[in-house]
Amino acid sequence: MAEGSNYDYLFKVVLIGDSGVGKSFSKYTQPYQSCCPTAVLSRFTRNEFNLESKSTIGVEFATRSINVDGKTVKAQIWDTAGQERYRAITSAYYRGAVGALLVYDIAKQATYANVTRWLKELRDHADSNIVIMLVGNKSDLKHLRAVPTDEAKAFSAENGLSFIETSALDASNVESAFQTILTDIYRIVSSKSLESSTSNIEPPKASISVGPTVDNNAQQGGKCC
Amino acid sequence: MNPRSPPARPHIGLHLSRFSSTADWGEDDAWDSTSDSESPRQSTLNSSRNRPTASSTISAPKAVPRNSSSSSSSTLAFSYTHLQAPSSYPPKDSIPQEAPKNGWTIVRTSHSRNTSQSKLESGSIQKGVDLDRYARENGDTDVEGDMILGDLEPEASDLVVDAPNAPPTHTSKAKHNVASIRTDADDIVIDPLNGIKNRERQREPSPVPSKSSNLTNSRPLSENREKNEKLLRERSIRTNRRHKFVDCLSSQDVNIGELRKLAWAGIPGDLRPMAWQLLLGYLPLPTPLRATTLERKRGEYQNMVELAFARGREGLDQQIWHQIEIDVPRTRPGVRLWMHEKTQRSLERILYVWAIRHPASGYVQGINDLVTPFFQVFLSAYIDSDPEEFDTSLLPSHVLSAIEADSFWCLSRLLDGIQDNYIFAQPGIQRSVRRMAELVARIDAPLSSHLESQNVEFMQFAFRWMNCLLMREISVQNTIRMWDTYLAEGPDAFSQFHLYVCSAFLVRWSEKLRTMDFQGIIMFLQSLPTQDWGDHEIEMLLSEAFVLNSIWHNAQSHFNGR
Repeated sequence: MAEGSNYDYLFKVVLIGDSGVGKSFSKYTQPYQSCCPTAVLSRFTRNEFNLESKSTIGVEFATRSINVDGKTVKAQIWDTAGQERYRAITSAYYRGAVGALLVYDIAKQATYANVTRWLKELRDHADSNIVIMLVGNKSDLKHLRAVPTDEAKAFSAENGLSFIETSALDASNVESAFQTILTDIYRIVSSKSLESSTSNIEPPKASISVGPTVDNNAQQGGKCC
Repeated sequence: MNPRSPPARPHIGLHLSRFSSTADWGEDDAWDSTSDSESPRQSTLNSSRNRPTASSTISAPKAVPRNSSSSSSSTLAFSYTHLQAPSSYPPKDSIPQEAPKNGWTIVRTSHSRNTSQSKLESGSIQKGVDLDRYARENGDTDVEGDMILGDLEPEASDLVVDAPNAPPTHTSKAKHNVASIRTDADDIVIDPLNGIKNRERQREPSPVPSKSSNLTNSRPLSENREKNEKLLRERSIRTNRRHKFVDCLSSQDVNIGELRKLAWAGIPGDLRPMAWQLLLGYLPLPTPLRATTLERKRGEYQNMVELAFARGREGLDQQIWHQIEIDVPRTRPGVRLWMHEKTQRSLERILYVWAIRHPASGYVQGINDLVTPFFQVFLSAYIDSDPEEFDTSLLPSHVLSAIEADSFWCLSRLLDGIQDNYIFAQPGIQRSVRRMAELVARIDAPLSSHLESQNVEFMQFAFRWMNCLLMREISVQNTIRMWDTYLAEGPDAFSQFHLYVCSAFLVRWSEKLRTMDFQGIIMFLQSLPTQDWGDHEIEMLLSEAFVLNSIWHNAQSHFNGR
């Protein structure tokens, strides 16, 4: 999966949220089925190295690219482990992030209740201008829904977050989560650069990502995966 | 440099006291690792001092900068694996990477699992592997699919069953039922040595002739004579090794030094459950103490379980329990054994009881992975089929309880040595990662500076290597082989020796990594192509780590930070 070695913008985005809410959907196109033995049983032939449903240890990395206004916007996504013990390690990755996807499980009230704690984490460790999107995951589990969409929507509006519900069973939803947050970030960044640059010429490479980043053009892009 | 065969480690038996005592390992209380922490370190120091060959041949660490490990690793591989005829291994690149197609993949999967598991198991054979290797080497296309399957499956099950006259027709699938539970399971519960003795009795007459004829039938004789001779030679070496192992394990008072020496180079599968328990100091070395000790330890564990769960679900530490509950179903997802209800409940109890007894760390994600090698290895003592395919509900409850308790105690022993990996801020891991970065800068400066230029931090990938002891990077079969050596190395291997293994592991990909950019590096290191790794690759890695350890462990001042 060649990501394309060229991009106009590079954004660092962190994925945060409680353990087990399905944060790692960014990495896998496969549906999460870890808690559903029968589904797993039917797929015994798969490669045991496929980590699609193992827990995330520390921080794992993924990328996504989208197009906005004819520009290639690339995201470096740092998928963090949800467990408290890892917080000391993972919070270091907030530094330089311009976006955060804060994920909860619509079927588990507790994961939604913890959203405020995660927001505090971000306030403590991340850039104050970070764009945050609240993501209600596993929306396919309608019959188990514990968090009403309206409630989460209202909460997001109050706190200046964008909001979306996703299902890893429905990959397009996941795509649109990324599309939305990256577009939001892009709009902010490009409007800022318009304001700030006297010549009104957009910088060719506007990487506002700090921390571990590809400082230049990726010499050879899609060697990964 | 004249690297010496790693298995010959004369120093290894020098610390009997730590392992021969049966009295002091009864109390595995939380934080007893603090008191323990002195002895591992001490033992390392002593052992490195007593490593004459290593330190004398490689006396000036500073003068041996190794830009690339490749040259030394190949030398080593020859010296170390000469018994296993390294020449018969094809260069890694020449191994055809089959696209995972349906059907074919299934065949490959079950086959490779069987062979790698039974590889060392009966001491006699490595035929499955050799055949496979042979096929690759010669670019044989006609050995694929059914032919390999037809040839190997009976062999593999034969190996496991270890009954010379076992009908060579059934597939291993058919055996994952009650019938695959060994008839002497009750004896094994009492003392694992019983299982080994019974098997040895069945072993005669030697199954060798039928096997070699089986092999010859599968391809033209002329092509194979040389191959066969080599196989027979290898087999006899392996049989010899096995005899030594069995003798060692059968003695009235096991010589732990001897056992370590043997175990360093890998333990035959059917001897492994007992050998691991001895190496970990869980099973007493003197035979007469075993039955009572095992009974007592298992009883102790049973009591802890009952106490912990006495007040029902509400009485549990909710935070710990919640995390365990989430992680148990995603432990080895997709592997039948770990999807079974009974196995999952066992795993839950092991993790929970350990967690509440170690409040400073509690349960940390990744510890669940560390239980799996123990559980699978101990389960393998009681059954004649592949543990990963086994339904634990078929086991008599006292057998399952024994496996569970043994896994708990052995996990505890392992974790005692690396507890600061899991306490607040995980200082053990931070330290290991830092030291690994320093070591890699010494042994592979170009790689180190490339990583730096790309802003790759060791913490970004090596954190997981330390946290899960590479279990996310290599297969469980690989891990099990690796632990043979770790356990032979001694109790601090999981923190100290592991650091060198991780460094050797990283440097192994140096050439590739140096052509990659930040994203490429991180993505590559996150899903390394180790799927086809067998014992050979692991042994290469271990021998490289051994050399690194020999060179650098006495040269602590080269590490800047501690």
